[in-house]
Amino acid sequence: MALLQIAEPGLSTVPHEHRLAAGIDLGTTNSLIASVQSGEASTLVDQDGRDILPSIVSYQPNDILVGEGAKSLSVSDPQNTIVSAKRLIGRSLADIQSKYPSLPYQFTGDENKPEIVTRKGNINPVQVSAEILKSLSQRAEQALGGELTGVVVTVPAHFDDAQRQSTKDAAKLAGVNVLRLLNEPTAAAVAYGLDSGQEGVIAIYDLGGGTFDISVLRLNKGVFEVLSTGGDSALGGDDFDVVLADYLVEQAGLTRPLSPTLERQLIKQACYAKEQLTTLDNVEVTLTLSADESNEKNEQVWSTNISKETFDGLISALVKKTLRACRRSLKDANISVDEVLEVVMVGGSTRVPLVRSEVEKYFNKTPLTSIDPDKVVAIGAAIQADILAGNKPDSDILLLDVIPLSLGLETMGGLVEKVIHRNTTIPVAKAQEFTTFKDGQTAMAVHVLQGERELVDDCRSLARFELRGIPAMTAGAAHIRVTFKVDADGLLSVSAMEKSSGVEASIEVKPSFGIDDSKIAQMLKDSMNNAKADIDARMLKEQQVEAARVIESVKAAIALDHHLLDAEETSTIEQVINSLAEISQGDDADAIEAAIKKLDQATDVFAERRMDSSINKALSGQSVDKL
Amino acid sequence: MNYFQLFGIEVSFDVDLNQLSQTYQTLQKSVHPDKFAHASSQEQLIAVQKSAELNDAYQTIKQPLARAEYILTLRGVELPNEQHTFGDTRFLMRQMELREMLEEVTHAEDVDAALAAAQQELAQEYQQHFSLLQAQICENTDAANMLACDNLRKLKFYQKLNIEVDRLEDSLFDD
Repeated sequence: MALLQIAEPGLSTVPHEHRLAAGIDLGTTNSLIASVQSGEASTLVDQDGRDILPSIVSYQPNDILVGEGAKSLSVSDPQNTIVSAKRLIGRSLADIQSKYPSLPYQFTGDENKPEIVTRKGNINPVQVSAEILKSLSQRAEQALGGELTGVVVTVPAHFDDAQRQSTKDAAKLAGVNVLRLLNEPTAAAVAYGLDSGQEGVIAIYDLGGGTFDISVLRLNKGVFEVLSTGGDSALGGDDFDVVLADYLVEQAGLTRPLSPTLERQLIKQACYAKEQLTTLDNVEVTLTLSADESNEKNEQVWSTNISKETFDGLISALVKKTLRACRRSLKDANISVDEVLEVVMVGGSTRVPLVRSEVEKYFNKTPLTSIDPDKVVAIGAAIQADILAGNKPDSDILLLDVIPLSLGLETMGGLVEKVIHRNTTIPVAKAQEFTTFKDGQTAMAVHVLQGERELVDDCRSLARFELRGIPAMTAGAAHIRVTFKVDADGLLSVSAMEKSSGVEASIEVKPSFGIDDSKIAQMLKDSMNNAKADIDARMLKEQQVEAARVIESVKAAIALDHHLLDAEETSTIEQVINSLAEISQGDDADAIEAAIKKLDQATDVFAERRMDSSINKALSGQSVDKL
Repeated sequence: MNYFQLFGIEVSFDVDLNQLSQTYQTLQKSVHPDKFAHASSQEQLIAVQKSAELNDAYQTIKQPLARAEYILTLRGVELPNEQHTFGDTRFLMRQMELREMLEEVTHAEDVDAALAAAQQELAQEYQQHFSLLQAQICENTDAANMLACDNLRKLKFYQKLNIEVDRLEDSLFDD
């Protein structure tokens, strides 16, 4: 809920007012924030000069530590130190437990809203991500010297709707205004494309700590058109650590379950070995087997040697899995391997030599690593944030992204009927008609799913709702129109309506995972530690700022396009503007909100006409180009 | 305004796809929600609607079968829905044969070769029906439009078979 910057009334149309905006790469293992300053995008550093913030949050008795401070506690205090929360966000408990069986946390709460038990109470993964976002945005505000207008937060292209929604919730909780959720490989493509000036088809191979994405894009005159995307939201460098840790467990003759401390130690050693093996052929790994959890005084130290061949053998199945996703994405894009001009490597895990050599073999060209694979996503996000904040009105850049997974509905027999197919360009709106199964049926259960498989049980359940009040008819006579809308953030909303009888009943749904809006509002209030009066004052100020913004934008539109309105229409709109201006001087936040809505309604037709006129302008410009 | 008018082109089955893509990108540059990220929420909403409509129009004209269906709808030809019974038994028999052919691919000695042969056979038959469809839509008489409808339905059978082929290919490579 960051407040928008606003100048004195009457002065706000200053042409080159620079709005502070930033791009955040919210990674599984590490996070970064970057911003465009004097035309140049760069990562922002903390007071110790580091730009990488480990995505770790530790809940200590008197403090919540984020980053390096938390990292040092990950082995000694594993239950209160949350590592890789991104792997948990937007997932059900069953999903988490089947994918990551040896996590050191104690889970509690609802099946769809699992929480981690810590000494500071039960913590939702969304709250963990919010702490990281808060820490980064504070860093940016210090570095840039002002409040952020908004940020672009990146997500894996393969994130499903619940994971995206949860990420947005985390930003809301952190008090950060999200301009857009941007897919990580698309962000990387922007950074790379602008840097190289290349046109044509490129592939972005993005292997991070916990996720893998492959995106195929066509770059043409500032347009970044995503042709297809694929990947695995639960495959990353962390998995290399896990298979290596499993190997160590086996070699050391240990049997699970092991203590949380030993589990963390195993992962830490495995990660160390992986990093060493990027340059060395052999590495020595040491484990302290009976550490603090037992009373035995004699600590048993065990060590072994791991060769590069052994490591490559352990991870080769995982690397192959990424190449299968590459093959499928190229096929979806209808692009052959030879048509791909460049393969850009993104994410820290692309440093693993086997990954590089296998990618090179598959694409038959040397993968590009010219931009730091750790920073490229944050840089691209910063460039997009700068544009979205309105700092580059003449920018020619346009990102056309897609949804990664098909969206559908449950039909009779537990089957999924797809309404929007994967790799459809967003934003998109699609409607499909369904009918009743029984005579006299007056209600219908709508079950929204995401995934590629045919059976409901194999897809991700996003939401369920009921459409009631259907007039009783014979089976098959009702026409229920279900509309799916996916916005530019890749977020879905669904509505349903019975239309044959003229009776309308519709409902908007939000995925049933993560946190409810009301709970977020409550958490925000709790975190502010303020009296009710302070919160009310803040709400009032927000509405006043919004009112000023809307008035300004309508006035600017009239100044520019007054020819689209007749005298009467202009005077009506002006009256509504004046009334809003007057109401916004008062102290009734609700009244201001209502007056803003009124102005929105009054200018509805005008806004439509402006949009149509700009389409026509673009079209005629195009035909002039042709001549 | 129909989808063709949206792109400033004549209603026709022959479309210059390169030109279409250029126009599409130019139009998206003026209506995409990213261009309105700092505008009022109402303008953002309209931008999402327009941009979504443009995406739908582009996909409809770009894909040949969707384009054919759209042109027939514009001509007021009633398209039979999918549940409607399909009278051409010879065609249906052929579809069953083709499905059997696909099932046998997995048991073939040389799976890759069998799959390639099956794909070629499907592509050939698809092309035959497609050429007919093209001619019928160009002819644009009541009789030809009815025949085009029929052909369109047949082509959709092939489209479904191609999805089966994709699935088969995926399962063969996922070892």
